[in-house]
Amino acid sequence: MPPSTFRDLTHLGGRAVDRVGELTDRMLDGNLRIGVTGLRRSGKTVFTTALIDNLLHADRLPFLDVVATGRFIAARMEPQPDQAVPRFDYETQIARLTAPDPVWPNNTKVTSQARVAIRYMPGSLLKRRLLGVTRLNLDIIDYPGEWLLDLPLLDRSYAQWSRETLALSKRPPRDALAAEWLAYLSNRDPSGPAEEAVARRAAELYTGYLLACRASDQLLSLIQPGRFVEPGELIGAPVLAFCPLPEPPARAGRHTLWSMMEERFEAYKTNVVRRFFSEHFARLDRQIVLIDVLGAINAGPAALADMQTSLSATLESFRHGRSSWLDRLLGGRIDRVLFAATKADHIPSNQHANLRRLLDSLVAERRNAIRFEGAAVETMAIAALKCTETVMAEHQGRQLSCVRGIPLGRMEPTVLYPGEIPDDHRLLERDGIRKLNFLEFRPPTLAGRHGRGLPNIRLDQALEFLIGDFLS
Amino acid sequence: MTGRTRDPDYRNPDYIQPMELDPSGAVVVVPEERSAGLHLPGEPVEDETPEPVPAPRRWAVRLLVGSAAVLVALAIGYDTVDLVRRAFDTSMVLGIGAAAVAAGTVLGAFGLLAGELRSLRRLRQIDGLRQDAEHLRAADSHGEAERYAGAVAALYRDRPDLTLQITALKDHLNDAHDDREVIRMVDLQLLQDIDRRAYQLVLRASRDTAIATALSPAALLDVAIVLWRNLKLVRQVASLYGARPGYVGGLKLLRRMLGNIAVAGVAETGNHLVAEALGSTLAASLSARVGQGVINGLLTARIGLTAMHLCRPLAYDETNRPSLKRIRRELLSVPKQVL
Repeated sequence: MPPSTFRDLTHLGGRAVDRVGELTDRMLDGNLRIGVTGLRRSGKTVFTTALIDNLLHADRLPFLDVVATGRFIAARMEPQPDQAVPRFDYETQIARLTAPDPVWPNNTKVTSQARVAIRYMPGSLLKRRLLGVTRLNLDIIDYPGEWLLDLPLLDRSYAQWSRETLALSKRPPRDALAAEWLAYLSNRDPSGPAEEAVARRAAELYTGYLLACRASDQLLSLIQPGRFVEPGELIGAPVLAFCPLPEPPARAGRHTLWSMMEERFEAYKTNVVRRFFSEHFARLDRQIVLIDVLGAINAGPAALADMQTSLSATLESFRHGRSSWLDRLLGGRIDRVLFAATKADHIPSNQHANLRRLLDSLVAERRNAIRFEGAAVETMAIAALKCTETVMAEHQGRQLSCVRGIPLGRMEPTVLYPGEIPDDHRLLERDGIRKLNFLEFRPPTLAGRHGRGLPNIRLDQALEFLIGDFLS
Repeated sequence: MTGRTRDPDYRNPDYIQPMELDPSGAVVVVPEERSAGLHLPGEPVEDETPEPVPAPRRWAVRLLVGSAAVLVALAIGYDTVDLVRRAFDTSMVLGIGAAAVAAGTVLGAFGLLAGELRSLRRLRQIDGLRQDAEHLRAADSHGEAERYAGAVAALYRDRPDLTLQITALKDHLNDAHDDREVIRMVDLQLLQDIDRRAYQLVLRASRDTAIATALSPAALLDVAIVLWRNLKLVRQVASLYGARPGYVGGLKLLRRMLGNIAVAGVAETGNHLVAEALGSTLAASLSARVGQGVINGLLTARIGLTAMHLCRPLAYDETNRPSLKRIRRELLSVPKQVL
């Protein structure tokens, strides 16, 4: 039996024991795991913070049925079930967002988990008689978005991945960023001897290339493997010392550079990616996919296409489908998926419908695939933290719907007319005809005043779709 | 500009480059309140009541009623003037008294008439609101529904029992909501609360009629009780929804309701009807009197629910329409209470 399979098996055994404990938990209380999925800079941390904050205050969620009908009693944060995972630092995040001089969260570096317990009155008479006041535990995980892109690696071989990555790196706009690394590779023979120094140097250059991709203003999302740019606890580990290589013409023997890299790639898959997946994503009940459509539009058609590919590849790893009660007990399948275009407050509200349709067209393929598997899918334009307001301004005798807010790095509010976004992404791809311009805005000053929870756009409807049936 | 574009926007001469504008000139879109002329401009208010039977000889009836009324008014007026003149002939004091009483009567009649007219207009307003809401619900628009929300809020402005709900509504509405969401918000925050109370009223009224009919000794008394209680219920429900109908308005509503029940069966789906019939036969076999009571109760309930439908400034959608289910269950326990 190859060692990796064995490792998988012991791992599975350990997980089975965990599951039994969790199972009893699930039978006694309602537990629900929400997967907040999103590429980097799509706003996962802000979304998680806003979600917790709004649940705790429950004063800005008019469309959440349990709140609207007055059955909501209270919510609070509780110790999360996984002892080994850091707690999501809600207090710090909310303090930063609601400070007199508010700032957006920094890059997320590690995974963290939050549990919100909601106490509510069941809606149906029968349940109310039977159970009385019920509670629902909501588990949410925050993690670096970069890591999400590791998931597609799981069903790729090293050769396959190398081929794809190399091909991608030779296309603009990435070719310029990858030049140094590619030059280094061209002088090395993959079927040559396995030298640690070469491997390290190649990996270093490759990491440099990935970091350059991340820093580029083109908003390139497809950055694999994610741990290279956001290593977490793995800084300097040998498992990170590999990179794609051009495939040798003949099958490479043992102790060649190729075979060493391949081994490390496989180790990365088993020890890093699979672990991350099984710990956090394998047992999701509901999923929200946050997509920064506006950011991608701003960065240009290449970024949009890049984002589309990354998302599509990532979502394949999840198990979607209609879940039976047994599935729900075991936490097998995701039966509701919400695609959300985030930062909807960056455009005037009369364009939200278009933004939603644009998102629809972007994710159409994936959405249909998920729907085919039996899960319910919905798309929405949301903003976890509303930073602007829609205003009317006159321009050359015409009334324009604009947004008013304070852009990042400025102190005075401005009124921005961002242009009209089309309702299909194919219209965007014809470059240069239509210019759109979205500014990044600062969080609103004193967003948390009156103790009502963070102002948001459609967070309540997103929540109603994701957890509403559990609170009925 | 390329010629091959499918999107007409690109060639649009109105196309505007994205830009930043002067903050001082910008205006926040706020929900404005609208109290009169509630329907959207350019859309005629149609009376949506179906005409149950075509009335070919309506003009004759009108002529008859009209001339008779004028005749009566003329006769009474003539007699009154005569009376006052004769009173003046007898004594000055008596004359002034008679004149004052006559003036009071006329004034009172006008006041009553004005009240009735106002209440009728309010009913029409609510009809208009309901149509607006339907248009808004169907359209994929933005920024139009604020006026509707303002109008509904204005309708309930003088109601101390609803201030909390109106405040909540205004609190939750913001510039990000599109029209459909605004309509849903009005429904959720304001109207569903009224619905609950109206449902209670209907429940109580139908129980009242059921028990009263079951216990009343004479058939004629039944009819009187049912009529009186139904009229009262309709007026109560209508006032709860802000229609505040007068007597004429109440009668008009009742008439419309009877038409609606006969024509469409507004609140019902098929299985409701079957269950209702089954339930009532069961009850009837128990005791004819009690069975009749239950049937009368059901009738009242249906009238009450129809009143809710007709007086609500927003039509029910599939999910929240009130059902007879609970009332029926309640009514079927009436035999137990009575026997």
